[in-house]
Amino acid sequence: MIGRLVWHNTLHRPLRTILSVIAVGVEVALILLVVGLTHGMLHEVGKRIEGVGADIMVQPPSSSVFLAFSGAPMPQSLAGRLSKLPNVAAVAPVLLQMSSSGGLDIVYGIDPASFRAVSDGFVYLQGHGLEKPDDVLVDDLYAHSKHIRVGDTLQLFGHDFHVAGVVEHGKGARVFLPLQTLQQISGSPNEASLFFIKCTGRGLTGVVAKEIRNLLPGYEVRPLQDYLSLMTPTRVPGLNTFVHSMITLAAAIGFLVIFLSMYMTIIERTREIGVLKSLGASNIYIVQALMGETMLVCGAGIVAGLLLGYGGRLLILGFFPTLSVLISPGWILRAAAMAIAAGMAGTSYPAWLAVRKDPVEALAYE
Amino acid sequence: MDPIVKAEELWKVYRLGKVDVPALRGVQMDILPGEFVTIMGPSGCGKSTLLYVVGGLTSPSRGRVLLDGNDLAKMSDADRTLLRRNKVGFVFQRFNLLPTLDARGNIAIAQHIHGNGFDPHRFDLVTRMLGLRERLDHRPAEMSGGEQQRVAIARAIINEPKILLADEPTGNLDTKNSESVLKMLTQLNQQLGQTIILITHNPEVAAYAHRVLHMRDGQIVDGIPAD
Repeated sequence: MIGRLVWHNTLHRPLRTILSVIAVGVEVALILLVVGLTHGMLHEVGKRIEGVGADIMVQPPSSSVFLAFSGAPMPQSLAGRLSKLPNVAAVAPVLLQMSSSGGLDIVYGIDPASFRAVSDGFVYLQGHGLEKPDDVLVDDLYAHSKHIRVGDTLQLFGHDFHVAGVVEHGKGARVFLPLQTLQQISGSPNEASLFFIKCTGRGLTGVVAKEIRNLLPGYEVRPLQDYLSLMTPTRVPGLNTFVHSMITLAAAIGFLVIFLSMYMTIIERTREIGVLKSLGASNIYIVQALMGETMLVCGAGIVAGLLLGYGGRLLILGFFPTLSVLISPGWILRAAAMAIAAGMAGTSYPAWLAVRKDPVEALAYE
Repeated sequence: MDPIVKAEELWKVYRLGKVDVPALRGVQMDILPGEFVTIMGPSGCGKSTLLYVVGGLTSPSRGRVLLDGNDLAKMSDADRTLLRRNKVGFVFQRFNLLPTLDARGNIAIAQHIHGNGFDPHRFDLVTRMLGLRERLDHRPAEMSGGEQQRVAIARAIINEPKILLADEPTGNLDTKNSESVLKMLTQLNQQLGQTIILITHNPEVAAYAHRVLHMRDGQIVDGIPAD
């Protein structure tokens, strides 16, 4: 019976209900998209690094796991010393540079032969590999987002490059230049930002990593099988704070809209509350009815939020195919829980007002 | 026979700003089980306040009021709510039906609040007696005043309360519907032995009752004693 009352009360003011549902939906979608974008970007970067196919990555001392924040380059000649270690199959030096033309992208300067030895080579969707100093390779998502085809000219670091090939995404960066070319442009001759290392066998990663640490004490030696687990927001300065701030803002939106909606509901239904009290309804009964309405609105809002969130994800990926939006079941549950908690918090004061109403005054309310 | 309602030196004082306004001034009243009693008086004499105190909607300021042996003056708000749920039915001048529920829902919610669940036999008996069978799926906005008041009466008696308190039940009805409602109340009293206290300022309405108590300035000024 209380379900019937809740259902009909919720439908009694359809516009107010719809607006409340939308507000909760926006709250849920905001949480999912903000978290999805941050986690997605980190996850996607991590997957691409793992996608190189190397077993170990060597970086200069005190380097960040986020390659964009890498430290000063290392001598390229270290590759020779590393390749002489037992159980090392191949070593690929890579120079990283951030490009800001048309957005922020990390560009890899690679030696094609050694990179192929470590990664088993690119999968070419169009064109061919890096053959000339001014050749550039781009991955398919980059090509799609920038509307680039083989043969086009791409400007990077103030230089024009010829798009030699479009490759399948997932091997480190989205843009690849010849190592020597990038070294020249960046003023870092014979230097590398990192070395990707392939071991002779899967189970030898630990052994090789130990040998590298002995050879190069203080250098960052990271087995790549665990790399993805390192890509968390806590490792990016300020990112966690940003995410938490957005979540708090989203929850505040839901709280305020539900608070206002239920407050208006209590004012409007003063006489009905008096009638329920005259029938002998307890305070718990009245609170249950109000919370029931809130739960119904929040439930519908969560569904709306999921639709908005997934729809937003499609839109973002449609316009920005190089981005990644990771909506996980865990965060769907968290967003839903936050929406419900914010809604119940928003209803608590109006519910308290309702149970405190004097039934005689409430019955006389016009 | 013990009275079902007994008021002794009953006072109710409202605080309006800095001023105390006594709405009831030492009311003495006995109502026996099965009686149909009308309380008549001009506007502002305290009739409604007396009804609300007897019904446990508000607590008295001084004195005693016993409802089926329970002293309302000594009860907490929660206890009075429980008592009201189990022993009191209200009918109001403005019907006070829940607008979002149909007639069936308005009656059934009283059973739900009572806590014994939906009793289809009792529901059928009451709705048949009050001629509501054809209107159960209609909302208050789709019913006439007379129909709404019959739904309100059904809601008030569905849980077999010890006492039915009616606050100007015909105040918003035309003559024909007023007669119909008053006949139904009389029928409830005669056939089911329902104890009824009805307040009105209309002598024609008061004439339906066994006994009429007159009120003025917060006191019962005359009326035939209960025995």
